[in-house]
Amino acid sequence: MPRGIGVCLLVCSSLAAGAAGAQAQDLESRAAAARDADDVPSALKLYRQAVREKPAWLEGWWFLGLLAYQSQQFADARQAFAEFTKLDAKVPAGWAFLGLCEYETGQYDGALEHLERGFASGARLDPEVEQVARFHRALLLTRAGAFDRARDELKTFVERGIHDPVLIAGVGLNALEIPDLPQEVPAGQRDLVEMAGKTAYAWIAGDSQQTEAAFRSLLGQYPSAPGVHYLYATYLLQSRPEAMNAELQRELEVNPGNARARAVMALRLRLAGDPAAAVPLARKAAADSPGLGLAQYAYGVALTETGALSDAIVHLQAAVRIEPGDLGYHAALATAYSEAGRYEDAHRERQASIKLARESRGPG
Amino acid sequence: MGRASLAAVACLALAGAGYSAERPAAKFACATCHRAEAESQPRTAMGIGMELPPNQTVLRAHPKLTFERNGYTYTIESDGDRSTYTVSDSNGKLSLPIRYAFGVHNQTFVLEHDGGFYESMVSYYASPNGLGVTVGNGKIEPHNLVEAMGRKTSDTEIAACFGCHSTGAVNGGKLTLASLEPGLNCGHCHAGAGAHMKSLAAGTAGPLPKKLGEMNAEQTSRFCGQCHRTWEEIVKLRQFGEANVRFQPYRLANSRCFVGGDPRIRCTACHNPHADPAPEAAAYDHNCLACHSQDAPPVAGLDVPRAKVCPVAQEKCVSCHMPKLKIPGGPTLFSDHQIRIVRPGDPYPN
Repeated sequence: MPRGIGVCLLVCSSLAAGAAGAQAQDLESRAAAARDADDVPSALKLYRQAVREKPAWLEGWWFLGLLAYQSQQFADARQAFAEFTKLDAKVPAGWAFLGLCEYETGQYDGALEHLERGFASGARLDPEVEQVARFHRALLLTRAGAFDRARDELKTFVERGIHDPVLIAGVGLNALEIPDLPQEVPAGQRDLVEMAGKTAYAWIAGDSQQTEAAFRSLLGQYPSAPGVHYLYATYLLQSRPEAMNAELQRELEVNPGNARARAVMALRLRLAGDPAAAVPLARKAAADSPGLGLAQYAYGVALTETGALSDAIVHLQAAVRIEPGDLGYHAALATAYSEAGRYEDAHRERQASIKLARESRGPG
Repeated sequence: MGRASLAAVACLALAGAGYSAERPAAKFACATCHRAEAESQPRTAMGIGMELPPNQTVLRAHPKLTFERNGYTYTIESDGDRSTYTVSDSNGKLSLPIRYAFGVHNQTFVLEHDGGFYESMVSYYASPNGLGVTVGNGKIEPHNLVEAMGRKTSDTEIAACFGCHSTGAVNGGKLTLASLEPGLNCGHCHAGAGAHMKSLAAGTAGPLPKKLGEMNAEQTSRFCGQCHRTWEEIVKLRQFGEANVRFQPYRLANSRCFVGGDPRIRCTACHNPHADPAPEAAAYDHNCLACHSQDAPPVAGLDVPRAKVCPVAQEKCVSCHMPKLKIPGGPTLFSDHQIRIVRPGDPYPN
């Protein structure tokens, strides 16, 4: 992926330079001149010296961060953007770059938190920086187990026809729901991840012939790899939903701990009008993976439809806590509140759902 | 009357006798015990659902309908037993038989072309008694006769259309048109009716179908919403704006007075599903006053604010609080089920 540094250098032209003494001004001018002349080592040295003398110089930290990032001196870049965001927490690009640096230094939890913060204000980043930040956020979301959000993001890169081994691996990890990063995949799993990535890529790209062929190869080569049958089941949902349950069952045979597969089976039963049969499956999914929003949701809606409203609300509230951006979870909670006669809660949750629906992207 | 017409009348008579989709070969029919419902429901809009040839009464009553749009001319001609949908422009024409006329008062046609199903670009509207653009298709700008003829539907969409306008046309999510019966018969809503009748015929108590009348408001909305769309579905589809006035469960749930556990606000509190909706505004007054009156009794187990009493009137409540609205681009009026105080100039709520 391109890092888009050339464009980034222009990003903060609006950042105001503070007042400074003549000596400091001289240092600033020399740093800027070195930067303009593409003399990165000198520019880095001068910016370091300048921010030492003038620690509140916002622009200095910014360019020091950018130049260090460009030179792949990620620890220094991280330090510079950390100082920058301390001085001004309102510049989304500062948080985005801090997150990107942390990704490179292996501080993944902080990286995700800070990339999220870069997008939180809703202000637009420079388009090229935005793409890089979104891509890394998608990889980190997969690592964090937020597969659905990550998938939505990764899809946009596939739909634009971007071919990149890291993207393929990221798509593969996401498709198999392995909470890992491409660079950390063990050697023994790389072929599987790549194959799953290419399969999911063809599916997202809408190439049905290639997708069918890719699934045949994947299932033939890795019939007992965790996640493969679940991936195929989700594919079948669109084309042959009647065959989906058998694949979910196969997934649970080779991977009994797959709470997602169990939760989806429960949701299928509920959809078929048998919420009572969905309850035990969903209960086990939620017990096995209490931190999985889908499992809590499946259990919550099955309980709602079998009349166990108090318990349903507890699990739907958990689903919303785990994934506050999931519209379906909010809507189901609103319905459960309503059915339980919790008038004010239902009204509030309905309004929150509608607001979320308006603010988020539609389903296709 | 031809043989086909006789057969159709016989079918209608059977439907009128209350035979369900799960029709058992037994002496028991729904009408044996539930006569009033079994006799009235097949004559309702839901009971009719769609018209098939040769019983397309709406088209038969309008032997020639024409409409022009985007340089295309639409003509629907009916000779009694058959109806034909034709779209033409300066380069040619495309004519297709109308097999499926969906609806009763207004009708949209499902057409078959090259192995696919299409929703007709134009529909018949009782008011203004002619053709108009089908709701939802207003923004389509066709590039050829096929696109002008109609909008191609997905497998899921067409299954949903047939699933809500007929009985037995969808099994396991797939279209099974060979077993289609127009309209919703008893078994469409009352799952288990067939087994119930079989057990009665065998002289055993057997399983009873679920008592739909025991559902609360939220459950009823979810049930009716299978066709009329649920609140959750509309939110997830992000169908905001005036066009969502036709999705009554969604609008109703957004009303301040909607409490899911309260049976007084459920769909069936106002609408008898075995009869067509009453057209008179006053017909619903007692439903409104069940909450909005001084002496309205509380509902056991419900902790909800006491409803205010209207300071303006105690009759024809819906004429103010449920205004009739047109969908943008369409001629049909819908009662807005988001019950509220409507002030002049207020925007349409969401």
